[in-house]
Amino acid sequence: MTKDPNSLEGRIAWITGSGRGMGRAHAELLASRGADIVIHDVLREEAEETAAAIRATGRRAMVFNDDVTDACAMRALVSRVEAQLGPIDILVNNAGIGEHAEIEEITPQMFQRMFDIHVRGTFFCTQAVVGRMKERRFGRIVNISSIWGMNGHHTASHYCAAKTAVLGLTKAWAKELAGFNILVNAVCPGGVLTEMPIRVQGMEKIRAKEKLVPVGRWATPEEISYAVAYFVAPTGNFVTGQAISPNGGETIVGF
Amino acid sequence: MGTLDNKIALITGAGDGMGRAHAVLMARRGADIAIADINEEMARETAEMVRATGRRAHYAVVDMADTEAVIEMAREAGRMLGRIDILVNNAGFGQRALIEEIREEDFDRMMAVHVRGSFFCTQAVVPAMKEARYGKIINISSIWGMAGAPVASHYCGAKAALLGFTKAWAKELAPWNIHVNAVAPGGVRSGGPTKLDNSDVLKAKEEKVPLKRYCEPVEISYAVAYLASPEADFVTGQVISPNGGETIVGY
Repeated sequence: MTKDPNSLEGRIAWITGSGRGMGRAHAELLASRGADIVIHDVLREEAEETAAAIRATGRRAMVFNDDVTDACAMRALVSRVEAQLGPIDILVNNAGIGEHAEIEEITPQMFQRMFDIHVRGTFFCTQAVVGRMKERRFGRIVNISSIWGMNGHHTASHYCAAKTAVLGLTKAWAKELAGFNILVNAVCPGGVLTEMPIRVQGMEKIRAKEKLVPVGRWATPEEISYAVAYFVAPTGNFVTGQAISPNGGETIVGF
Repeated sequence: MGTLDNKIALITGAGDGMGRAHAVLMARRGADIAIADINEEMARETAEMVRATGRRAHYAVVDMADTEAVIEMAREAGRMLGRIDILVNNAGFGQRALIEEIREEDFDRMMAVHVRGSFFCTQAVVPAMKEARYGKIINISSIWGMAGAPVASHYCGAKAALLGFTKAWAKELAPWNIHVNAVAPGGVRSGGPTKLDNSDVLKAKEEKVPLKRYCEPVEISYAVAYLASPEADFVTGQVISPNGGETIVGY
């Protein structure tokens, strides 16, 4: 019997920001395909809930609550995972925040926090795992960017550029790490029905925005996870430096 | 000739290399130039070159990583020359390092100079541009920001962030007739490559470029000057990469 090319049997995946929303959906899908999961979120209760859901499927889960901007803590996290579960095969750099602000409203503190979480966090989480991945000549890294990182938006330019920086890291790392069988790709979600936009914008506003999307709706979180799972399973073994944007046709651009 | 007649441009990192080439070309085309650079002597030299074309020049010494100093520099430039019509976010530096070699201080300085410096310099000039309902902002990215490289991923990420600002600001500022574009240079005979001039290392690199050469700094300035001129009044959110065909990708 040939092995299922979607299988993640025996893999260990670290997913940042996996306490809720898309991160939790990635964790649950990857676990359902056989991976053990490192749940990582500053929201403690939500992280524990995700871990409980993973364990209920029979997979192993570890929970961490450190801030991704703490590079030192990321190195410690990797050592503890390795000691308890084994070496990390898959890293999904998913942790992030949103913030609507025009250029004049963005303070140095807001700016710094936006880049620290998305760019510095992605960089130093990756740096923490890459040494062992090189030694083992295996690694799958997925960076979560955004449709706004590809195409811009009329507000939140600090968020847009942080998400574009994540695409820049994706392209550079694909080239730097290909020789070690470490593949690096990006997923750029369009509109997704997670609790955050539903709470902030309300369903009425979201329904109006859905009308502007060619397929007529926003995605469920799982529909973003399918793209992540494609990259990290054997289905993505020839794919590196690429971006998939599940966005219902809202933006169609070159990467 | 004067497609930039009586315009006033602020160019960061204009003390040498490409930034100086932008300053001199734009002055020749009629613009007054505010020069910002970390090196005072180089900044003063560029100012003298601008004045030699008959245009006004002002220079300031600033570290782009110092946000408060950047904001003050931009305001001072506007006061000294009257206003800022054109901003070229050019200041930057390169650093070759693999992922494991990049220390936290290397990463933070790379982001601070290219990304935070460009952001707050722009924030400082935008209110007056909005009031004037006129502005041209040109962000200097890199071929490596578009396509990546097997080394220096912190530089690649920072230069990609500048493309992100370009796309977002183009949308945010279009209602005020402020145009925002990017130039993403390929191989240029300035900075690092100058030291390799005529060496086998540089020749091997040039051999990989379809046009078989690196360009002179002024060939990058032509793209900047075009985007700063009225000829580009319908152009916003775009990128030009003068790279000899080395990378041909969707933006």
